[in-house]
Amino acid sequence: MPTPPNESDAPESETTGLPGLRTWRSVYVLVVAVFVVWVGLLVALARIFS
Amino acid sequence: MNALDYVVLLGTLLGIAVYGVWRTRGPRDLKTYLKGDGNTRWIVIGLSVMATQASAITFLSTPGQGYEGGLGFLQNYFGAPFALIIIAAVFLPIYRRLNVYTAYEFLGRRFDSKTRLLGAALFLVQRGLGAGITIYAPAIVLSTVMGWRLDATIIFSGSIVIVYTVAGGCQAVNVTQKYQLAVIFAGMITAFVVLVERLPAGLTLTDALTLAGGFKKLEGVDFSLDIHRRYTFWSGLLGGMFLALSYFGTDQSQVQRYLSGASLRECRLGLMFNAVCKIPMQFFILMLGVMVFVFYQFQQPPIYFNRAALEHGGSGRLRSLEAEFAKDHAQERQQLLAWLNAKHAGNRNAEAAARAAALAAHERGEGVRAQAKAALLAGNSRTTTNEADYVFITFILDDLPHGIIGLLVAAFFAAAMSSKAAELNALGSTTTIDFYRHLVARAATDAHYVAASRCFTILWGLVAIGFALFANLAENLIQAVNILGSIFYGVVLGLFLVAFFLRRIGGAAVFWAALAAQLLVFVLYFSLSISYLWYNLIGCAACMLFSAAIQAAIGPAAGHEEAAPPP
Repeated sequence: MPTPPNESDAPESETTGLPGLRTWRSVYVLVVAVFVVWVGLLVALARIFS
Repeated sequence: MNALDYVVLLGTLLGIAVYGVWRTRGPRDLKTYLKGDGNTRWIVIGLSVMATQASAITFLSTPGQGYEGGLGFLQNYFGAPFALIIIAAVFLPIYRRLNVYTAYEFLGRRFDSKTRLLGAALFLVQRGLGAGITIYAPAIVLSTVMGWRLDATIIFSGSIVIVYTVAGGCQAVNVTQKYQLAVIFAGMITAFVVLVERLPAGLTLTDALTLAGGFKKLEGVDFSLDIHRRYTFWSGLLGGMFLALSYFGTDQSQVQRYLSGASLRECRLGLMFNAVCKIPMQFFILMLGVMVFVFYQFQQPPIYFNRAALEHGGSGRLRSLEAEFAKDHAQERQQLLAWLNAKHAGNRNAEAAARAAALAAHERGEGVRAQAKAALLAGNSRTTTNEADYVFITFILDDLPHGIIGLLVAAFFAAAMSSKAAELNALGSTTTIDFYRHLVARAATDAHYVAASRCFTILWGLVAIGFALFANLAENLIQAVNILGSIFYGVVLGLFLVAFFLRRIGGAAVFWAALAAQLLVFVLYFSLSISYLWYNLIGCAACMLFSAAIQAAIGPAAGHEEAAPPP
């Protein structure tokens, strides 16, 4: 017995409201970039203090 | 712990619980009770998702992981950002569009009633047992160290959670998690600051990192392709993504957190907050453990961190090992200081020699500790060999000032309660929506369903407390429940992946495929000796492949839509 579909999301599904990141695709790319930076920093930390 | 610690502990825990009840007082309809008031912002969703995943054992045990194995454990979380992106892009818009209360409602809409019930039942079995472990695991550690009664610890923390979760539903969980997480991080950051201050005079943070690096505690990324290594970049990225996809995307305790968002944007941002913050958060907790390791190179640690086991298993042999360990530790400390002095003086040869001598002394000390552990285990069959869980709590009780001890213990309880509240909320919701409303009372009033949901939440809370009390009888129960979770998780994820990505497969095919996949996992579990983590992948892959094969055998699926709701 499901509830009725939610229509309120449709118009806003493509807007992020974030400055400089207009599409969700750009947000996802940023998240991946942050991950890559973290991996790079971890590798650097191990090398500097090895 | 003294009176000040107890005031901080009880004041924090009861204060948050009372605030949660007060903030969510008044009558609530079903939607508000199960999904909040519809105005939840992204930061609350993000913190709530984070608090649900981070249970007390995360904060008790993870520093111990850092102490023993360094930063390598961090790789377990490398798949999480990618899984959260997939959930935000694919899972979430569908959940929102269908306006479901539970993830399993979606299975009913996509396939049929029996598939929905199968998914919900698998969740209830695994999460029902998991809720017991969520309070049992920290209670066993804290009661052992503090000398509290285990049953009283379990009943105390479990009862508080039941009260505010039943009273305020989803919104109470979200509201309290925000403050519980604040307490957790206040405690962890304070512990870190005090820890760095307690390092020997003249030892800078750079020196501490140099020592940690020398003991290979800072190796957070291992690109090895060796499948026998427990933590590598690749196993973390692929295996971790699978686990995170299953947990964040199909486990109602998480789905309910982000379905409470005011809009799709708020939900997505809440998930992206976790995608960005999860790795730094775990890094910080592991680094805390690494710093505890450095601290204990200058201050002699107990030969075995579980002091209760040490007291019960004390013997002449153990005392002679303790004397031997003290001698090795003193030599190591001397060599560490020589290492740092040589480094500061720029004398590379002396630095290398002192470093080698320090590492050798450390190895000797670890050898003595291993002998002590074996002696304890031989003398007492109930002595746990996993002492990593006791490292951080030992440091807290021995080396932090009063007041901060209370704050840290409050942080562990807050973490246990935040996870358990989300689990109980999800168990109550799933029982009400997917079973009670779907099978028993299809056209009752909102008030009736809210009352039913409250009753089911209490019931699951009592089941969890009962299970945690019973868990005292079994030594390796935590591992047993982890195995149980892995046995079911793969098939549940398979159901959802078929629903999202294999559009031509219908309810009959996926239902029988899921049952066959589950049977296969059971058979493999009892006939193979592989790591239980692999069953996540096997169950999921088998469910998807069997679905495609059965659908091909029985011909094209007919369209399906569950009955429309009453007005």
